[in-house]
Amino acid sequence: MLQGLPDVGLVGLIATSYIISELDLDEMAYVDSDLLPPIVVLHQGLPHAPLRIYGNKNLIAAISEVAVPVKALHSVMRKLVDWAESKSVKMMMSIGGLPVQNRQDIKEPKVFGAGSSEDSLKLLREKGLEILNEGFIVGPQALIMRYCTERKLTAIALLAQSFYNYPDPEASAVAIRKFAKITDHKIDVSDLLEKGEEIRLRARDIMRRTQGELTRMKKSQEYDIPLYV
Amino acid sequence: MYRERKKRSIFEIMSEYMENLDAWADELLESAVTERPSWDTQSRCLEPLCNIFVTADEVVVTADLPYAQPDTVEVEAVGENLIEISAKMKHKVRFGDFGITHRKGEFSSFRSRAHIPVPVKTERMKIHFKRGILEVHLPRKKGYRIKAE
Repeated sequence: MLQGLPDVGLVGLIATSYIISELDLDEMAYVDSDLLPPIVVLHQGLPHAPLRIYGNKNLIAAISEVAVPVKALHSVMRKLVDWAESKSVKMMMSIGGLPVQNRQDIKEPKVFGAGSSEDSLKLLREKGLEILNEGFIVGPQALIMRYCTERKLTAIALLAQSFYNYPDPEASAVAIRKFAKITDHKIDVSDLLEKGEEIRLRARDIMRRTQGELTRMKKSQEYDIPLYV
Repeated sequence: MYRERKKRSIFEIMSEYMENLDAWADELLESAVTERPSWDTQSRCLEPLCNIFVTADEVVVTADLPYAQPDTVEVEAVGENLIEISAKMKHKVRFGDFGITHRKGEFSSFRSRAHIPVPVKTERMKIHFKRGILEVHLPRKKGYRIKAE
């Protein structure tokens, strides 16, 4: 199962939406909670829940078209992991951004991997990913990692160097390439790169709202150096 | 009333204080994400995403300007510690381009104002525009310097 909720640079959301449309996944479920804002999103005239799940026989993917309030994050992520476990999901994957200050000077962002077990770290290394050895992960992927570890479910996070609070389709594209390599999917990202400017323009509003939630969840703690002597 | 107040431990008072502080911070944050659209149909302008970083020596303001024509990107000091960012877009964008049919309007430029939180030398600002991101560097005004004895 793949999750791409709004986070830094909207890397996960852009990547997961693109994967959903490229693999033509069907809408199969949605998340409902009193903790989520009272919103419905209209597409081609029909209402949809903002936090939806798509899938086919091999892949399930969750996205949210609204910034998920920090107050709802714990229960939503716990429920997603519970649901994934009930569907006998083999692996939980998150795509996200790793904010870097000099992002506009980086042409090809690097993708780092984090895993919930030695086996998942081994898989990431085999696929050529550099491991995030020391540091903090804050937000949806942090909770996925924590709840999956509790349930002994394999969890992997793919974190691409990105802007902190500007939509970053280029970072999403490099993360998709790594996702495709790990899961043996064929996904052409040229269309995503071509539409990069259009996506940045369309994503301004959700990025603006996500910024508020990033501040609330103290996302900047990812810049901190952990102390464990 | 007095008795009730006396019963509360310092930890309870601190906890209540922290809760109030959290609620106040949340309110402040809500008001920062302005509850108004990021576009203006009258001026045909879109408001870009902007950020302000304050370092020891300078203030760096950045703005995300997709579709901006590089030669039209301008930054103007419109007051003390207030700058205006503007740029024309390569082509007009309409609501219809985003599939929105219940609103009418088209946009041809970006415009926004940024308040600089500390005193800066606007006359010495430098701007760079690279891959759709504008970066404005404003040197900070120096204060008094005192050497440690």
